[in-house]
Amino acid sequence: MSPIRLLYGIATTCLVLYAVPATTFAQSAYPNKPIRLIVPYNPGGSSDLTARFIAEMAKDILGQPVVVENKPGAGGTIGIGSVSTSAPDGYTLVQITASPIVVRPHVANTAYDPLKDLTYLGRYMVTNAPFAVKANSQFKTIQDVLVFAKTNPGKLRWAVGAPQGGPHLATEAMFRAREAKTTLIPVNGGGEALLALMGGSLEAVVVDDYARPLKDGEIRLLAESGPVKVVGQPSVPTYKELGYPISPTIFYGIVGPAKLPPEVIKAWENVLKKIVESDKFKEMAQRINATPYLANSADFTLQVRGDYTAMGKVLADLGMAKK
Amino acid sequence: MESMQGILIGLSSAASPTNLLFCFIGVALGTAVGVLPGLGPTATISLLLPITFKMEPATAVIMLAGIYYGAMYGGSITSILIRVPGEAASVITCIDGYEMARQGRAGKALGISAFASFIAGIISVFGMALVGPLLASASYHFGPVEISALVVLGLIMVVMISSQSSLRALAMVALGLLLSTVGQDFVTGGERFTFGIDTLIDGLGVAVLAIGLFGISEILVLAAERKEQRTIIASPTNMRELLPDRNDWRAATGPILRGSILGFFLGLLPGAGALVASFASYVLEKKVAIDPSRFGKGAIEGVAGPEAANNAAAQSAFIPLLSLGIPPNAVMGVVLGALMIQGVAPGPKLVTDRPDIFWGVIASMLFGNLILIILNVPLVRVFVSLLRMPTSLLAPIILLFCTIGAYSANNSMVDVAIAMGCGVIGYGLRRNGFDPVPLLIAFVLGGILEKTVRQALLIGYGSPSIYLNRPIALGLLLAAGAMLCFPLVRKAINRRLSISP
Repeated sequence: MSPIRLLYGIATTCLVLYAVPATTFAQSAYPNKPIRLIVPYNPGGSSDLTARFIAEMAKDILGQPVVVENKPGAGGTIGIGSVSTSAPDGYTLVQITASPIVVRPHVANTAYDPLKDLTYLGRYMVTNAPFAVKANSQFKTIQDVLVFAKTNPGKLRWAVGAPQGGPHLATEAMFRAREAKTTLIPVNGGGEALLALMGGSLEAVVVDDYARPLKDGEIRLLAESGPVKVVGQPSVPTYKELGYPISPTIFYGIVGPAKLPPEVIKAWENVLKKIVESDKFKEMAQRINATPYLANSADFTLQVRGDYTAMGKVLADLGMAKK
Repeated sequence: MESMQGILIGLSSAASPTNLLFCFIGVALGTAVGVLPGLGPTATISLLLPITFKMEPATAVIMLAGIYYGAMYGGSITSILIRVPGEAASVITCIDGYEMARQGRAGKALGISAFASFIAGIISVFGMALVGPLLASASYHFGPVEISALVVLGLIMVVMISSQSSLRALAMVALGLLLSTVGQDFVTGGERFTFGIDTLIDGLGVAVLAIGLFGISEILVLAAERKEQRTIIASPTNMRELLPDRNDWRAATGPILRGSILGFFLGLLPGAGALVASFASYVLEKKVAIDPSRFGKGAIEGVAGPEAANNAAAQSAFIPLLSLGIPPNAVMGVVLGALMIQGVAPGPKLVTDRPDIFWGVIASMLFGNLILIILNVPLVRVFVSLLRMPTSLLAPIILLFCTIGAYSANNSMVDVAIAMGCGVIGYGLRRNGFDPVPLLIAFVLGGILEKTVRQALLIGYGSPSIYLNRPIALGLLLAAGAMLCFPLVRKAINRRLSISP
């Protein structure tokens, strides 16, 4: 036959042979190809940074690259939504934090049901979001703030780093419990909130990037919105200690679509355990003022369900849940 | 004096072989990224984050900074050659830069753009070294109230940059403002104009809009032109015509100096940034020019000034980041993250605790700009010759890059569809004599304006009198009012003079 036909023949055979192995690989161990880890936020935030850090370390443990992809939008729900509908083969996962899982589904329609459409592989850390004022502020304790807000309705201007998130709603709940009327100034992120605080446009902020201004003596912490005290600040009470209805955990974890095979769950539990218990991770967490807080799949699922249900009830009581 | 000592520490830090190497990598990558529409420094920096974990913090920021201001160099290349802004901040260069290219002066436009960026970069470095740390705390006084007043001034100026009739410019501004309302309401969280499409909840992306309105519409315009008329640019024949000559330099010196200083100060302010700086420079140049009617028809001042301004602003944006820990824009936010994970928390103590990082980054910008000018000047010839390609080959390639750019914004095909739609709209606008530049600027400013005005009113407890209580904001508003009234007052005076004997 002519050389051209021979060439075509070889090319076609190669193409066919290339397609065949894909089916045989399906039986080998997980993972046998790169894994996509979606970060449902913009690059640079703590979600993105920790996800990339974990992806780097996971590569050596799993033997396959873990590729981070940003899919920001709608408070994290777009990225999570896209993963919840993907194939449950363990090759498309998403990094999550509390708000789009525990809060947002109660106040808006999301593409996923956190109780049914996701597999919780593991939690790796939690962060704090304290209530802070300027160091030279007239407010010395949280009670000062609440008394002031009650007697001067609308005069207390504050901002949150993550709108509609757990710490935001918890603080709103606290104000309502004490009949305090305040003015919430919407901002884009903790950085902007702190800038406005230092510039005198705000009296208080609830943010998670409090560490550097605290260290430099620019701000004072009055209370912590989550259940875990701020490291090095034992005198700062938590909302829970003060007796307020919500004290949400700001957790960070890895999640996949529903019905992930047990070998995927086991693999990631192993990966996260190795990473979270490593010195490298502990050092990184300390630098971004987070607390490593490992939970395996079962415990994590339990924690999320508990938080979700509790948040739902409180939001309904506050009249903030969707109809 | 402390600054001098700091600069010396910085120079020795920046001149180390590792730092020079990564500076080179950063600026080269930045230029490449700037040229590609849609792909921006933010995405590139986040891709490189894991690599920075293993580097020294100073090296990491030097490289990331190089990517950022390098992108400003690269962004103007496509603005000039094919009227597609590689970076949103380069959209102003599309106005006169592209006209220069059409007249066969592409090399001069590219050359003056590179040199303007270089000179502005050096001036900005000296500005940062001399007054940077002092001015950083000024950022505290520039809150939402002041930003909203600045943006009002900006919107008034937008009408002035247009060489078309004021009515058409106003129409484009209105359309831009309207488009900026798409998405979630900043205060109440309610969805506006999203039509149930999830990706629109965060609004239309400026990169996607720019790609559609400028890039894809350009392809459509080209396709509609008759075969004989199809040239993207006329190419110059010899090397002498390729670079700016003495006349060009004489015309450009003033704009470069003014643009550098303007850009330097505007870059320090949160919320302002490279786009506002470049377009403020354009307005300034048009105002001080002897013959303003040349603007929009290939005036070299319209390229030199804005290019200087956006580079100066890109560099001075590092001052609020490094000395306050406040990132003035999204790119700086990622750089902040990279530093945090290294255990370096930028803030007022950084200058004293880690002078090698603070001054090292500033000093590295000297080397970075030097590398960029050495890279870019020979590239002028390469790029100009690229355009000798037949249009039938070039246009699909441009379309491909635009599509990739639109997709890469959020890894979403919806953005590609939006870009295509905007392309059609842009084509319609251009065929009917409307210039999309004011639309894009108004779109960016509109988003900032709505957000900051509402924040300002909340800060003022619901009363607009907050503007009277803040001197900087009041001053800016008065300037805006003056700019609005001035032409009317002048007309009235002229009429009086011509009536009275």
